[in-house]
Amino acid sequence: MTSETGAETPPRRAGWTGAAARAIELWALAGGALLLGVVAINAASVIGGVFGAPVPGDFELTEMGVAVAAFAFLPWCQLTGANVTADIFTARASRAWTARFALAAAVVALFFALLLLWRMWAGMLDQREYDYMTAILSVPVWWAFPPILVSLALLAVAALVSLVEAAPVAAGRAPGAGSGPA
Amino acid sequence: LTPAPDGARAQEFTFKLHHLLSAQAPAHSRMLVPWAEQVEENSGGRVKIEIFPAMTLGGRPPELINQVRDGVVDLIWTVNGYTPGLFPRTEVFELPNVFTNDPRAADLAMNEMLASGALADDYKGVEVMFLHVHAGQAMQMRDKLVRTPADLAGLNIRTPTRTNAWVIEALGATPVAMPVPDLPPALQKGVVDGAFIPFEIIPPLKIQDQTAYQVELADEGRLGTTAFQVSMNQARWDGLPDDIKKAFRDASGPEWQARVGEIWRAADDFGIGLAVKAGNEHVTLTPEESAAFAAALDPVVGRWVEEVKSKGIDGQALVDEARALIEKHAAE
Amino acid sequence: MIDAVTLGVGALVALVALIALRMPIAYAMILVSGLGIAWLNGSALMLNQLKTLAYGQFSIHSLSVIPMFVLMGALAAKAGLSQALFRAADAWLGRLPGGAAMAAIAACAGFGSVCGSSLATASTMGRVALPELARYRYSGALATGTLAAGGVLGILIPPSVVLIVYAIITEANIVTMFMAAFVPGLIAVVLFLGVIALYVTLRPEAGPRGERVSREERRAATLGVIPVVAIFALVLGGIYAGLYNPTPAAAVGVFLVWLVGTLQGRLRLPQMIEALKETAGSSGMIYLILLGAEMMKIFMSRIGLPQETAAWIAGSGLTPMVVLLLLLLALIVLGCFLDSLSMILLVIPFFWPVLIELNGGIYQGAEGSGFGLSTDELNVWFGILALIVVELGLITPPVGMNVFVISSLAKNVPMIETFKGVAPFFAAEMLRVALLLIFPGIVLFLPRLLGG
Ligand code: NA
Ligand code: NA
Repeated sequence: MTSETGAETPPRRAGWTGAAARAIELWALAGGALLLGVVAINAASVIGGVFGAPVPGDFELTEMGVAVAAFAFLPWCQLTGANVTADIFTARASRAWTARFALAAAVVALFFALLLLWRMWAGMLDQREYDYMTAILSVPVWWAFPPILVSLALLAVAALVSLVEAAPVAAGRAPGAGSGPA
Repeated sequence: LTPAPDGARAQEFTFKLHHLLSAQAPAHSRMLVPWAEQVEENSGGRVKIEIFPAMTLGGRPPELINQVRDGVVDLIWTVNGYTPGLFPRTEVFELPNVFTNDPRAADLAMNEMLASGALADDYKGVEVMFLHVHAGQAMQMRDKLVRTPADLAGLNIRTPTRTNAWVIEALGATPVAMPVPDLPPALQKGVVDGAFIPFEIIPPLKIQDQTAYQVELADEGRLGTTAFQVSMNQARWDGLPDDIKKAFRDASGPEWQARVGEIWRAADDFGIGLAVKAGNEHVTLTPEESAAFAAALDPVVGRWVEEVKSKGIDGQALVDEARALIEKHAAE
Repeated sequence: MIDAVTLGVGALVALVALIALRMPIAYAMILVSGLGIAWLNGSALMLNQLKTLAYGQFSIHSLSVIPMFVLMGALAAKAGLSQALFRAADAWLGRLPGGAAMAAIAACAGFGSVCGSSLATASTMGRVALPELARYRYSGALATGTLAAGGVLGILIPPSVVLIVYAIITEANIVTMFMAAFVPGLIAVVLFLGVIALYVTLRPEAGPRGERVSREERRAATLGVIPVVAIFALVLGGIYAGLYNPTPAAAVGVFLVWLVGTLQGRLRLPQMIEALKETAGSSGMIYLILLGAEMMKIFMSRIGLPQETAAWIAGSGLTPMVVLLLLLLALIVLGCFLDSLSMILLVIPFFWPVLIELNGGIYQGAEGSGFGLSTDELNVWFGILALIVVELGLITPPVGMNVFVISSLAKNVPMIETFKGVAPFFAAEMLRVALLLIFPGIVLFLPRLLGG
């Protein structure tokens, strides 16, 4: 039957992977809560607009809030295999080969997460040094970066979880165990 | 794409010039392309400037300044106001009652102040080729004719920059921030009652379809303007031989700066011509009516002077110098 | 120096190879373009651009409708609202052969009229309709093909994120673009319904008739849609009455769905949490792809592929119409690999100036122009044609985003079946493109009527 993106039954995870999965889930929900906050600001702005009093700076708060929320969703995507893949060419691949592909994908994700973490750290320092602000509320742009850096660190952790779970299957051990990212 | 080894003849120095507008914008075809061609010609064909319009090298317009600082691209043309807070000194030229009606004089004045070092602290990490402004914010109104500041009370007006937001507030209206592409539908539906933007924006956004009145102060008077820059990555500039630097400098001197002012004036004239042809009413306020606006806007200058004080900038000195230089060049 | 075409084709081959080996599409794009740019212009440049690129891309205001409409869809699904929409359509159409699939198309069109994204439409209506189609024993190909195709109505029927992006690039009037998209969108709905009718005529077992519905049941199903219609009317009505733009409209939509679901007692904390998790999965995936697409765009611009193609076309001496056909064909081919938004972002800045030149300049009137249209009208017409062909990329292999989304919802249907099921809809779309090419008036009459 059908199952839903990002909401499959997760593999049983214990120890550090279990703790990581829980933290990533909570972080994604925190991002969701932020998205609800952005929704509230925009809805309030609409209602305020009808009475001639739109929320000042709703535009820039939306940009910032959605960006931070979207980053918070990335570890959850990695953990639940929500990132789309084309399985059309490898539909008949063995379980071990599927795990090997998943392993390669996890390595790329891990590398990307760490690289972006490093680069966006530098980006945050730039934003602070040059004093970037939003136009209406003069909110410093760098304020958006610390939660994003946490998201990227969690993305690295999620990629590590995928990697650890795919490795035994890829090596031909632990048949039927684990469930790497689809 | 990398500089050819010594001794190679053609195009030893290739530059990527990145900007936000499309290739059919006058800023691209009438300003950036001729400027790049002049540099290439001055260099005897040793320089090649590739222009990438519409953010084709990635990122959003506010990132242009980072891109040139970091060497992601070699040259940029950008709107200073997209990164509020980064160019506090140059902002003086955007103020109402400082910029009044003459983009040519303002261009010459701001580049003179740049050369004298008065604006230098705004541009760390980049080498400015030239600065310029557009012809100034006019009042483009959906269906309400504006003749006095009181006519604007309580209206929603779209704002592009923070100094423009102060202008709107000073006139008793409410500034509404929205991206440029949202403006036509917002005007059509009355989400905003008008926008303070130059006439030059009329053709690309078809503002004439969504407004009834194009209002400016006497003698092409405007409510402030917006500053732009063409800048090069500092390390790239420092590494250029003197004759190549000269090719850039010669293409960007006072003669060119004056020409840029005329280019933007012409684009503005074209825009208002289009609106009038479409049946819109082009209103030029009388000197008396204009004086009422100038009086209402005077506190904006004071607000700015007060605000930049926190950054250790003597705003009043910049205002005085900018006014004096604009006056000098307007008289030429 | 290797020439641009060789480089570009090489990069696309590498991209397809990685995707074929199950590399997530976003990471495949990031990897190929990141390494490509670093190789071309040095790694320092790439590293510097990464300081701001991701934040810049994720904070684009016009994209903020995407997570909001995904959330609205997820909440609506949990609250049973999109279900009600489908049920009502099914109550009227279900007894026809293939009727439940037709109902899915109708429901997709309804959802598309408030949603600016095809992926959100596909995933929202897929969640609702796929289980029903499976219950009616529809063939996997028809069921998933219908929803993958129906999802594109999210873009074809305004509001449409892709159309907004197009209007930004070519400086077209967004209101005009939305008006222009309306009639072609309705034609798409009619053609899709026709495709289903033809499909089940040829293969009756693929789309069995639904159960007989009593008059009372039909009445109940129709009444059940009232909250949905009210929400849709408030959201759409708000946009057209000028109360708000798409992003605030999406926010109002989320709020209203939450209100209805809560009042009906269907949306409690566990459902809210589930909806947020689904939103996180879908939106995170879309945003990561947008980042990958942006990096691909940068790489392609840097090797000069779009510029070179545009220059070649302009200098080729081909007639305007042939050039237009070639451009559309190029978009269809590119659409096999790239997502619609990135294609618009990649190609239009270079193609549109070529068309302007061929037409006779930016201020050219209809008389004496290359296409027999003023440049303004050409802008609108080309925008709708480009919208249709880039949207086709969502359902063409190997990278067909809608097909992927639907496949992730229907794990028991092999993706190849979905691509097979979507093929007849692709054919219908080609017919529609031909219609609009021959009769530009279909696109232009509403803007001419209403815009003056
Ligand atoms: Na839509
Ligand atoms: Na495709």
